[in-house]
Parts: sequence; structure tokens; C-alpha cells
Amino acid sequence: MTLQRYFIQAARQYNLRCLLLSSRQSYCELRHKYSSDASRKYTDRHEWVVVDKGVGTVGISKYAQESLGDVVFAQLPDPGTKLTAGEECGALESVKAASEIYSPVAGVVTEKNVEVENKPALINTSCYENGWLFKLKLTNPDELKELMSEEKYELFLKSDGHDKDV
Amino acid sequence: MLSDCRDCLGIRYRTRPLHQTWKWLHQTIALHEYLISLSAGDTDACCAKLSKMAQAFMKKMATSSACIMVGLTRRASARSLVTSSKAVSAKKDRELPPEREVTKSVFMSQSTDIYTNLALEDWMYRNMDFSNHHVMMVWRNEPCVVIGRHQNPWLEANVPLLNEKEIALARRNSGGGTVYHDRGNLNITFFTPRERYDRKYNLELIKRALFREFGIPSNINERQDIVIRDKYKVSGTAAKLGRLTGYHHCTLLVNANKADLSKALAKREHGIQTKATASTPSPVANLSELDNRVTVDSLQTAVGYEYLRTPAMHLEDGGQNLISKQRGFQFVNPTDDWFPGLDALKSELVGWDWNYGRTPEFTVSRSFPVPSELLAPSKAYTATQELAINMTVEKGLISDVTLNIPKGLVESGFHGEASVITTLKGRRFTSEALNALQDAMLTRHLTRDVTKLDDREQFVAKCFDQVVNTN
Repeated sequence: MTLQRYFIQAARQYNLRCLLLSSRQSYCELRHKYSSDASRKYTDRHEWVVVDKGVGTVGISKYAQESLGDVVFAQLPDPGTKLTAGEECGALESVKAASEIYSPVAGVVTEKNVEVENKPALINTSCYENGWLFKLKLTNPDELKELMSEEKYELFLKSDGHDKDV
Repeated sequence: MLSDCRDCLGIRYRTRPLHQTWKWLHQTIALHEYLISLSAGDTDACCAKLSKMAQAFMKKMATSSACIMVGLTRRASARSLVTSSKAVSAKKDRELPPEREVTKSVFMSQSTDIYTNLALEDWMYRNMDFSNHHVMMVWRNEPCVVIGRHQNPWLEANVPLLNEKEIALARRNSGGGTVYHDRGNLNITFFTPRERYDRKYNLELIKRALFREFGIPSNINERQDIVIRDKYKVSGTAAKLGRLTGYHHCTLLVNANKADLSKALAKREHGIQTKATASTPSPVANLSELDNRVTVDSLQTAVGYEYLRTPAMHLEDGGQNLISKQRGFQFVNPTDDWFPGLDALKSELVGWDWNYGRTPEFTVSRSFPVPSELLAPSKAYTATQELAINMTVEKGLISDVTLNIPKGLVESGFHGEASVITTLKGRRFTSEALNALQDAMLTRHLTRDVTKLDDREQFVAKCFDQVVNTN
């Protein structure tokens, strides 16, 4: 009798745990789906770009932000600057190191994020939203095809050599 | 460097006697481009230029203390260049060679000019491929103050004193704070591929060299400074990280002039507000205070050998055996002949636009009490009469000025406000602006045939002088 009760209890607990686990998982999946923009593209140097009506917004990835550490100064390109893909266009300074920013695509800078210039820590706290760096009008949208999608970028990060960078 | 070097193969064959030198020199994009830009008819000119370079190269080698290393250097470079061209062709997702295939060199810069050395550093960063050849460069300078890439020179250095004592001011490409250099200070730059940039490794290596050669114990603190006796800083660190290459450089105080150091970096009343990176002042010490055997020369040899006897990616003593596998010590002469394009980089680094013009936007606010003899004599003032000056400086140029002239000064007959503001806007934040200001005040008087400023104007001009010269 006691044994039977014990078994029933164990089974119940197991069921409950399964339920909890599966529900948590689906919650995570949903969040992932909604929080990450499907059209965000990445470079192998950990910059991202989101394009909306020909204007791209550029920032650095969470991985880059984490490996930089606390950003203390952001030097961003001025509006009107013409950039080619992969061109040096500014720098982020963290603990004594200046890291170059490269433009993921070619274009003309339309706006820089003045908030980030005033408060560089935004890059650490919100690298995909408030911590964007600059916007540019794309001159060659075909270049986007050469960039990595979110999934590809995740795979790229998992490939070796990205655990002790910077 | 372009992926396929067959483009300039023809020239290479024609300059066959110089084959080895060519290989060394060919690690530069500029030379490569020079070679492929030549048509067949130009071969003679090319040979002449190459042999000039080669002669300079050989001469240096022969006279250098490192001439024993030449044989080694050559063998190693011939071997590694085969792999280097491969690595470059796969620029985008390059595979770095395993640690045992990486060779190392110690470059010793022959220049003591800060701008030349910074240009050389930048040249190597831009043009050389470090995927299977790590380089440590040692260099020293005549007295100078070097500020970080995003710093404000007026805030970090005593600019009027620098001008007076002819101490150069230079802005470097890396981050971090301001340092003072002179001949008693050794600078070390570590070049690696970006992926293999490792500040900790470099600092530990210096620490090991100090202990192995001189028995000096030291520590690396949380700010990544090397300190001795628990708190005295002997080394400051900064770095620049690019797409392919990253470098980390640091200073080592051996027997620098500490009095000049603190005077040149003295903080004064300045009223500057900015978001520029600020320096963190620390108590400093010279290594020679601990042991008088430490000189810049002996230290550079000690760190050089430590670098060569240590494998490229982890700290371990490889001993003589490893040293003999490296490319050794090499003197480098930073001239445009050796490093085509160097002069252009240098001229940028020397200029006002880079050193001062790249300063992040800042404002200066100062106020000065007006001496009582300048106030209107008939009136009594309860509050202190102060002249307040606010200036905004963008890219080194004065972009906005506001003057708050106290009642007392106006009532005693000062009317220069408008002319002050219009003449200063757009001018460089230097004494030039002051001369212009004085001229403008004088021209107002021309009709009245006055050649000297009156006392009130002189006072205002003096206040501006104090703002601009931050003293």
C-alpha cells in the first residue's frame, strides 16, 4: 500500500516536472522569436546591421560587447561620411584598448547615435536596441547577402577560437 | 598584401641576386604594389631602388650586434613566407597556424622621434601579416608626452610648459591614458593577429624578464599596470585592435626624469568638462632605483630574449633551443625607403589636426574676479564682480563663446563683448585666438587713434589667455 502510494506520487511529480520543463522551453522559444529581429545580419567581426527601407542601422553584437568590457568612449562616423563595406569608421574604447569599428555594408552615414556618444555604457546594457552606433543609406544592398544570418552567426560563434578572443 | 604574388614574379626573377631581401621586403603591400605597377621597361629603375634598400638593410645588419642572427633570420623567413602567402589569401576566414609554426622577431627601432616611431607602429599594423610571425618592437624617444586616442591634451598635459621646454606632444592610435617618455623610458609593442592578442601574456613576459635577469619582483595590478613594491607603477599599457591585427604597447620606466614627468603631466586649474577618456594618475618609480644594473639597453635585451625563449601563445621557458628557432633581433630603420608610405603616415601624426583637432568636444568655464581699480569708481558693489567665460571647443576649434560681464565692468566703460565673440568663433583653441582677439579690440579703437588696449580690455584679454593656456 505504502509502496503503491509512493509510486503514484513519484509518477505525479515526474509528470509535473515534465510539464514545467516543456512549458519553460516553449516560453524561451517564444521570447527568442520575438526579441530577435529576423532580418538582423552579422559580420565575422561581430557588427550587426538591420535594414529598413534602404537605411541600415549598425551596432555591435552581444558577444563583441561582452568581450570588450565596459565601453568608456565611442567615436562614431559623422553624418555625410561615405563608407565602403569593411571600412574603418570609428572606434570603441574599453579598458585601455581602442577597437576599430568597421562598416558592414557600403553607404552614406545619415545619423550617429548621440546618446551613445554621451553615454557609451549603453553599448554594454543594450547593444541591440538603444546602443546602436550609426545609420547609413545603403549604396549596394547586394552586400547584405554576404553577411551572416542570426543562425549562421550563432554557429560561427560556436566554432573554435571564440572563447578567448580579446 | 595581395593574395597572389605571381603578379610581380617577373620583377622578382630579374632581381634574383636580391631574392632574400626581396622576400623580407615583400611583406609590405606598398612594395608589392610598387613592383606590380612597374612595366618591363622599368626593371632597371626597380633594381636600383631595390638594391638601395638592400644595401641599407645589409649595412644595418652587418653593423648591428645581432649579425649572428642573420643566417637564422634568413632561413626562418624563407620557410615561413611560403605559409604566409597562403594565410593571406584566405583573409576572411583565415586559419591561423598552430603555435609551434609561429616564429618571433624582436625589432629595434633606430629612431628616437615619437612621431616616426608611432608612424612605424601604424605602418606595421596596416601592412604586415602577423599570422605566423609575431613581432615585438622596442623603441625609445626624446622627451615627449603621449596622449591616448580619445583624450584631451589641454586636460592631460601642461601644454604651455611643453611648448616652452620643447617637449613634443603626440596622440597615439591606441586607447588609454597619458604617459611621459624620454630616453630613460623603454617602449615595447607586441604585434599579433587579432585573435591571438593577449595582454596578460605580454605583461607576464615582462614580469618574468625582470625577475630572470635582475631578480626584480613585480606585480600586475587590476588596471594592468606593472607595479613594484606593491604600488609604484613602472609600466603603463594601451592597445589597438583591428580586423586582422592587434597590438599592445607599454612603457617601462628605467631612469626617466621624474621631475619633468610630473611637471609635464601636472593637473592645473582648467575648468574643462568633457567625455574624453581620463587618465588615472599613479605614483611611479624607475626600475633603476631598485637595481642600478637596469638600463634601457640591458632591459631591452632581457625582455627581447625572454620574448624569443617563450612560445608564441603560452608562458613556458623554451630556453636556448627555442631562441635558435626564432628570427632573432633585427634593427629597423624607419625611413620611407624601408617602409614605403611611412612619411605620409608620419606627416599626419605630426599635424595639429591629429594631435589637437581630434580632441573630443569639450567646454571650458572659468571666472575671474575683476580688480577693484577697473570698476566704476563712483559706485559701491556688494557682490564680487566676476568675469565669467564659457567656451565650447569642437575638433579643437572654438565653436561657441559666452561672456558674462559684471555690471561694474560695463559701467566703467567696457563694450567689447560682441567683437570678442565674433572674432573667437572658428579659431583654434590656442594663443592664435588671443592674438586675433587683441587685434579685434584694437581695430575698434582705430578711429580714435589708439594703439594700446585700455586696462579693462587688457584684463579681459588676460582672462582669455588664462582660459586658453589653462593656467
